[in-house]
Amino acid sequence: MSTGNEAQSSRRKALKQIGAAVAGAVAAPYVITSRAASAEPLYVNTWGGVWEEAAAANLFAPFTKETGIEIKTVSPVSFAKLAAQARTGVYEFDVTTLGGGDIVRANDAGLIEKADDSVIDRSKLAPDMVFQNGVASHAFSTIIAWRKDRYPNGGPQSWADFWDLKRFPGSRCLQSYAARVLPLALLADGVPKDKLYPIDVNRAFSALERIKPAIRVWWTQGQQSQQLLRDGEVDAIGIWHSRTIELIKQNAAVDFTWNQGEIDRAYWVVSKGSPRAKQAWRFIQSAVSPERLARFCLQANYGPLNPKSLQYVPQSEMRFMPTAPANYKVQFEQDVVKAEPQLAEFTKRFEQWIAR
Amino acid sequence: MIAHAAKAHRERPWLLLLPVVAFLGVFFLVPLGQVVASSVTEPELTLAHYREFFSDGFYLLVLGRTFATALLVTLACLVLGYPLAYAAVRREGTIALVMLTLITLSLWTNFLVRTYAWMVILGNRGPVSAAFRALGVVPPPEILFTRVASTLGMVHILLPFMVMALYAVMRRIDPAYLRAAQGLGAPPRAAFRHVFLPLSAPGIVNGCTIVFILCLGFYVTPVLLGSPREQMLAGLIGRQIEELLDFGQASAMAVVLLAATLGLFWIYNRFVGIDKLWG
Repeated sequence: MSTGNEAQSSRRKALKQIGAAVAGAVAAPYVITSRAASAEPLYVNTWGGVWEEAAAANLFAPFTKETGIEIKTVSPVSFAKLAAQARTGVYEFDVTTLGGGDIVRANDAGLIEKADDSVIDRSKLAPDMVFQNGVASHAFSTIIAWRKDRYPNGGPQSWADFWDLKRFPGSRCLQSYAARVLPLALLADGVPKDKLYPIDVNRAFSALERIKPAIRVWWTQGQQSQQLLRDGEVDAIGIWHSRTIELIKQNAAVDFTWNQGEIDRAYWVVSKGSPRAKQAWRFIQSAVSPERLARFCLQANYGPLNPKSLQYVPQSEMRFMPTAPANYKVQFEQDVVKAEPQLAEFTKRFEQWIAR
Repeated sequence: MIAHAAKAHRERPWLLLLPVVAFLGVFFLVPLGQVVASSVTEPELTLAHYREFFSDGFYLLVLGRTFATALLVTLACLVLGYPLAYAAVRREGTIALVMLTLITLSLWTNFLVRTYAWMVILGNRGPVSAAFRALGVVPPPEILFTRVASTLGMVHILLPFMVMALYAVMRRIDPAYLRAAQGLGAPPRAAFRHVFLPLSAPGIVNGCTIVFILCLGFYVTPVLLGSPREQMLAGLIGRQIEELLDFGQASAMAVVLLAATLGLFWIYNRFVGIDKLWG
């Protein structure tokens, strides 16, 4: 079972890291001279699994080769850890990625460093890539996927279809994540894509009330959502496109639509107060350079947010890219800035609503 | 315990205790103090988090559910664990060894792995579903994402603790007592009920206390195997931090859960004595 292996290997990795840390601490008094000679490593927070493999091969290795700065990885990604680092000044990682909703929150709460213009060369980036003191890297999309054996004539093609339990009878699954689910409920209720924000919270919850009986489980981890769909525990699911494409490439009886896909942007950020901030920004600049980003996205099934990256994507892979023009135009992006003031209130309400 | 050690070693016994006291202080007391502090100081000096906890029916609902789940799991562990420990003690030798090894083996397996294994076993395409289909129950009942599944998962994880607590006490019961009872004319059932069962009572209390308290802190298993209605307080605390960054409210919830647990310890200490917990 892949999940188990991943959990095991990440635990092994953690043990190795602890071992290395202990060894490092014991050896520290004796290695100061050699440490001063070579550059200090940079600690990058990663999502593990496919993500980390793709990042190690296409982002970390070329950066180390170019600069001599070694990259060490820390898993899992945790927003709470980022907050704790800013509070305690103890750094487990210097660099991490944040989604759109989180970056506004993190920036407002002062958890991330200001974008360092002495290192970042904005002329090499698209104008909207530097946002809230982060640098946009790749996009992922919450799309509608379904079991082909359950809906042989095609599954729900829109969120209204997904909500339509008469035309598409069966079980449903959505992420337990208010900021992503509420806009989907509004779309299902007939709100046009460009009128979703600010979110009409009451309307969204009354739409959610209609689908609640069909929802067997609210997924919390990407791995879990994938297993639910692969094993046919649910018939239709709102799931990340990357997880779905992995399943399709494994020939699972699964299909999906880009229509009304909900795009999230992932941003590179530097943990507030990190002693290695300069190197961190240097790494970030290299990680969003067109070719490296394209290769990373191809391997990890993301959509590059540097528009120049698309020229490195083979035509055959374009249909799997949320940022390929044909796919991008049928989807929508979250308005994280408009949603931010509502976030705490509706997240709390959502938490309580699903647990009742 | 400290007084006891002092009597035994008159020459500066506290030196030996120094490392453990320092360890407990730095790694348990200081962080715990920080949690208590942040429950009343985040974002400013306030008791609002506690007021919210006790006035909002939702938190009390989850707290009640947490205790109800822990009770159910404890009872299930006892019902399953007692005969197992009894059999292991009474049949000394290979069978006992095999049984105890099996119990311990499951303890060595990562609990996340075990939880995912339950998802496969109880899932639509798993063996349980297949068995129902073979028996003509179509469609088979959905077990995954129900209270049955989450309880099963937690019982599986906590059963070893119950068995070990019971086994430790049962092993010290002299089999001669039972033979004596039977020799005096008690049928085996009466000998068990009047001799073995009362003597094993400390094991029952220990096992139940350990399982109950461990269960209070569970959250990954109910979240992955149960429905959202099985969410326990520990899970809510985690999400309070991860998704709302509300350290104050999360700390207050943690303090309430800790207080409830300590309350149980107090009752236990009152009636059984805390030193008995360690056998």
